[in-house]
Amino acid sequence: MAEISLIVNGEPAIAQVDPRTLLSDFLRDDLGLTGTHVGCEHGYCGACTVLVDGASARSCLMLAIQADARSVETVESLSANGAGLHPIQQAFKDCHGLQCGFCTPGLLMSVVELAATNPGCGRDEIREHLSGNVCRCTGYHHIVDAVERALNGAPGRADES
Amino acid sequence: MKADQAPRYFGARVSRRQDDRLLRGDGRYVADIKPAGVLAAKFMRSHQAHAAVTSIDIDAAGASEGVRAVFVGGDFADHEIRCVSSYAAFQESAQPILAVDRVRHVGEALIMVVAEDEYLAEDASELVVADLDPLPAAVNIDAALAVGFAPLHPGWRHNAFVRRQVKTYGFDDASSSAPHRVAIELHNGRHSGIPMENRACIAEHDRGTGQFRLHTTTQIPHLVRAGLSWALGVPESLIQVIAPDVGGGFGVKAQLYPEEVACCLAARQLGRPVKWVEDRREHFVAAHHSREHRHKVTGYFDNDGTILALQADIAVDMGAYSVFPWTATMDGGMAMGILPGPYRIREYSVASMSVCTNKTPYGAYRGVARPAACFSIERLMDQIARHLGVDRVEIRNRNLLTDGDYPWRSPSGLVYDSGSLIESLDAVVDLADLEGLLKCQADARAAGRLVGVGLAVFTEQTAHTTQEFKQRGVPIVFGYETAKVRLDASGTAVVSASIHDHGQGLETTLAQIAADRLGLDLEQVRVTYGDTEQVAYGAGTFASRSAVLAGGAVIRAADAVADTLREVAAHILEAAPEDMVVETGRVSVAGSPSQFIETSELCRLIYQRPERLPDGVEPRLEASRTYDAHPGTGAYTNAAHLASVEIDPLTGKTRVLSYAVVEDCGPMINPTIVEGQIFGGVAQGIGTALFEEFLYDEVGQPLSTTFADYLVPVMSDIPDFRVAHLQTPSPHTIGGLKGMGEGGAIAPGAVIASAVEDALSHLGAVTVDRLPLTPERVLGYIDAANSNGASA
Repeated sequence: MAEISLIVNGEPAIAQVDPRTLLSDFLRDDLGLTGTHVGCEHGYCGACTVLVDGASARSCLMLAIQADARSVETVESLSANGAGLHPIQQAFKDCHGLQCGFCTPGLLMSVVELAATNPGCGRDEIREHLSGNVCRCTGYHHIVDAVERALNGAPGRADES
Repeated sequence: MKADQAPRYFGARVSRRQDDRLLRGDGRYVADIKPAGVLAAKFMRSHQAHAAVTSIDIDAAGASEGVRAVFVGGDFADHEIRCVSSYAAFQESAQPILAVDRVRHVGEALIMVVAEDEYLAEDASELVVADLDPLPAAVNIDAALAVGFAPLHPGWRHNAFVRRQVKTYGFDDASSSAPHRVAIELHNGRHSGIPMENRACIAEHDRGTGQFRLHTTTQIPHLVRAGLSWALGVPESLIQVIAPDVGGGFGVKAQLYPEEVACCLAARQLGRPVKWVEDRREHFVAAHHSREHRHKVTGYFDNDGTILALQADIAVDMGAYSVFPWTATMDGGMAMGILPGPYRIREYSVASMSVCTNKTPYGAYRGVARPAACFSIERLMDQIARHLGVDRVEIRNRNLLTDGDYPWRSPSGLVYDSGSLIESLDAVVDLADLEGLLKCQADARAAGRLVGVGLAVFTEQTAHTTQEFKQRGVPIVFGYETAKVRLDASGTAVVSASIHDHGQGLETTLAQIAADRLGLDLEQVRVTYGDTEQVAYGAGTFASRSAVLAGGAVIRAADAVADTLREVAAHILEAAPEDMVVETGRVSVAGSPSQFIETSELCRLIYQRPERLPDGVEPRLEASRTYDAHPGTGAYTNAAHLASVEIDPLTGKTRVLSYAVVEDCGPMINPTIVEGQIFGGVAQGIGTALFEEFLYDEVGQPLSTTFADYLVPVMSDIPDFRVAHLQTPSPHTIGGLKGMGEGGAIAPGAVIASAVEDALSHLGAVTVDRLPLTPERVLGYIDAANSNGASA
């Protein structure tokens, strides 16, 4: 076992972990942060995306010990208990940007990164940037609406009636 | 069944009730649940397509750290999954829980290791040694049916689960006298729904009471309970099945799986909860496959393209076992039924065969056989158009059913209740701007680019119930759904429904319906589902039926509760019950709006002041109602799709440039949710058309076992969609509702194939006859078109 010390969603965490423990399993099983979902365990689908020191990372491809002395943010960081939805979450709700909700947490974290790094991008760029997050339910259209709204305040289709 | 006031929520684009918890990461999926003392299961699976199990050595695994048990086939040999069709001459298969002496597909579970955690279970599973002695594998339909190939199951005569044949009385005359015929052979790749959440289950067994509790990723909790009851030999009263939040289903989670039975058996034996979470690699080889159809189709038609007769020869590669609860006949039967599609075809001859092979068993996937059927009939229409030199829209208009044709009894015996086929085709031509697309195509061609336009029209049987399923020979006839509506003393409602919501938004749409009928705010209605102890028996969610059937049941149950509200309000207000009106937040006297009682106060009185109730009225505000959409032949949604594509002539990669849908699913409860379902279906259909295929090598080894080999559409593969709606009510259902969950996925294969063929049409004639249209296949079509053009 190895001791790691890191910041998770703004709170310090110290834990003893088996060196082979995946970051995704550590977050889910040791810290109970089950909002991070595991969809493929080979780094493709993006459901397990978290931010490590502000950059998106596949938590299924990373060991917990690699997060030592770093800051990890998961979907649970976006709206603390009882607080209103984060603007990106609200945009997803307003634009019907989710269905089963399984890919959603990872996708949201990728959008957080996109908003920080390329906030002015249009629909085609959004599609390119987020192609590492697979969604099987929505066909993506409403997700692009939601991201466009979150980034630019553009109205999504779901508002029309 | 009319509500007392105009709906506030039916038809409104309200946002979904479940979104907040899912967005916050507060969803509760099976993998998130961790009962005290839970053990982890890991399955070791066959790496051979077909083999005799000669020996298994589990000693080292059993001694490995943290291992609590290692089970092999013999341990569970008293249990199996059987799903027997009532069709004559159906050949039965018995799917073992763990393979005993024979494995029949790569991925079949052989050994189950149960340990203190997943890591330790995986460590131990690596120590298992299984000797498998390979046998000849039936790797495709032709191999399985080859003369002399040994039957795959004991006592079988040949390797077809079933063969069926139907011919209309006038077929021979109509076909033999037809002036033209076109024949094509069409292949659909094997693929599946691939939900983002893999399968998972947690089994618990209470030694004291003998009760099982199974949390599982299923669309059909009650049917899983029924199947478990048969497989375990335990009455249903001792089995609780809970499907919490489920991360997508698409049909692949609408089956009973051996792993669910195995976890129950292990939990009973070990006295501790046993949890299994599938990994993606397992999902590709062990979760059920779908879609692999081969159709040989011949159309007979007259000089103006009117179809006089249709002949089809259908074969479906069903894999190794007949799955519960569908049997191995579902796709073959559905394709037989729906292949004539939206056209006025009266004479039909069809043979269908469900073939057993050494591949992963075959279950449901969104659309069940209809994507293949649509691909066949729409490809045929395009060939007829080309044969006669008629426009593709025009050839369809000449054959599509029109208003005067309904109810239309198809030559396969389906009863189409209603539709707007020509209107939808007209509308999609406008919506997609076909004229503009053709101009772009001409410009692109002039610049040496390959751009094409494709279209398809289809009718989708939805909300079919008793009449339909009894004909399908399935052991459980999926007729009705049930809903309970309960108002409590605080004036809020709980709707408990036998369906399941794994993305379709029923948690919201059923609340919209109940809120309208009871005059409540949407926030005052909570919808529950998924726990067999909490909701009444019902089939679950599949086959585009839940909004219609559960919606109808909710309307009936809510209206019964509203009747009690009216009766008690009338008593308190000293008026006649028939004069009482349920309005938003109150029950009032018709024509005298100042005489009313607030609904919340009325609810409180009914529960807490029973002395104020009229004689004979029970202090209870709840009702359960069942709805089966009589006559059960289905409500028919229809749609027209039109897309444009561009092909890279060097790589063969096809890109979808635009995609438009006009859908008619009757009155829409929530148009935003309807559109989300359409878009999701179309994207999956684009996967069908361009990307997705489980490939096997010549000895039956799967070649598509990661997302690097099995491609699903990602955001940059999919264009923005255009969508418009028509709303033709069904004469058969409450509110005229029609289902629509599958529709989006039905047409894209046909549409994209039509577009690819069109993109190459100026090079030379070629028939696009195989999906998915991978770059390699498209390059083959380009070569064929060029050589046909050169020789023409």
